[in-house]
Amino acid sequence: MNRQSPAKGGPKLENAISYVLIAGVLISLFLEIAGIVLFYNSYGQLAISQEQSVFIQGHDFFSFIYNEFSQHTRTLPVMLMTAGVVVLMLTPYVRVILSVFYFARQKNIKYVVITLFVLTILTISLALH
Amino acid sequence: MLNIPSLALISVLVGFLGSLTGLGGASILIPLLVFFGIPVKQAIASAMIAIIATSSGSAASYVRERITNIKVAMYLEMFTITGAIAGATITTIIAPVYLYFFFAAFLLTSFLRTSRVNHGFTPAGSQDRFSRWLGLSGSYFDQASKKLVSYRVNNTVLGGLGMLVAGLAAGMLGIGAGAFKVTVMENILHMPPKVSSTTSNFIIGMTALAGVSVFLFSGLLNLTLMAPMAIGTAIGAIVGGRVLNRFGDSTLRVLFFAVVVLLIVQMVYKGVTSI
Repeated sequence: MNRQSPAKGGPKLENAISYVLIAGVLISLFLEIAGIVLFYNSYGQLAISQEQSVFIQGHDFFSFIYNEFSQHTRTLPVMLMTAGVVVLMLTPYVRVILSVFYFARQKNIKYVVITLFVLTILTISLALH
Repeated sequence: MLNIPSLALISVLVGFLGSLTGLGGASILIPLLVFFGIPVKQAIASAMIAIIATSSGSAASYVRERITNIKVAMYLEMFTITGAIAGATITTIIAPVYLYFFFAAFLLTSFLRTSRVNHGFTPAGSQDRFSRWLGLSGSYFDQASKKLVSYRVNNTVLGGLGMLVAGLAAGMLGIGAGAFKVTVMENILHMPPKVSSTTSNFIIGMTALAGVSVFLFSGLLNLTLMAPMAIGTAIGAIVGGRVLNRFGDSTLRVLFFAVVVLLIVQMVYKGVTSI
């Protein structure tokens, strides 16, 4: 492996972001595969379905997550697949939050402002739709 | 016949191509899904999840190997996300037909650049004040040429505006606009090809997240489409992320332009048919 000599603090962010991304993707992969296996066990087929039960819908991202996992109206396979999608969606969001904290600890005001701007707009757009 | 396992297999290839070229892969997946009889709106909405999987799966490697420039990504994300939200709002006012042609025309400019730089990447000699103030320069070790490639990012104001347009296009057309982003990074910001495609890859995941949230309300997100696409593209992207640095820039360019040609044809076709 060819690693460059790290500038002060910089690469730690890269390692942390890398871990968040790979963890998000692997957890999501696991949940999706488990969901599909159980889906096959329950329904005996793996066709692309157009039934209402396989569609996810919500007023906005955050209330969707809350409603989906507080009301147990879904079957286990569908819930696992939904959880996989939610984890995947949260992955880029978490890495923006992580970056804000990182630049704040570095006292890099320019990038705290930049990342906070991105986080704010993203949060507003997720909360409004 | 398309089913969950076959869609997962197709998605592996899409994720692999998407991670190498910096394109989300949704523009390849959407026509494929439509071809197999999936309603187009459902295809567009559900394919957003494939962009996030491609982006996150491959970026994990690119970020660890220091090819992705995080600071450039953060700076440009301010513009793409603002553009994406504005784009989603504007769609209700303007017919997107003009944008298809504009998008196709802009993609054509990427060919002008290649004819000039087919001898490899030449870093900019100087850097403008604002880009220096932002601290936007970097280097990475290129495994294909066994060299440390250093670069200075230039024209960050113009590049930011380019990203605003990329965000607008993404918001209006429901695509990742990865090709557009890579083109802006290479031609305006003077970033090396690998840094451009990996930084674009990093950004599109977040733009797609904003997109998915819009579709969440519409009730078009089909789990039996999203689950196999997420699995396939994630696996393809993880593999792509591990091999990208071993490819030469010229190989990646050929791959990129092959996909861009496809996209131009697709955009012109969409534009013509929607007149």
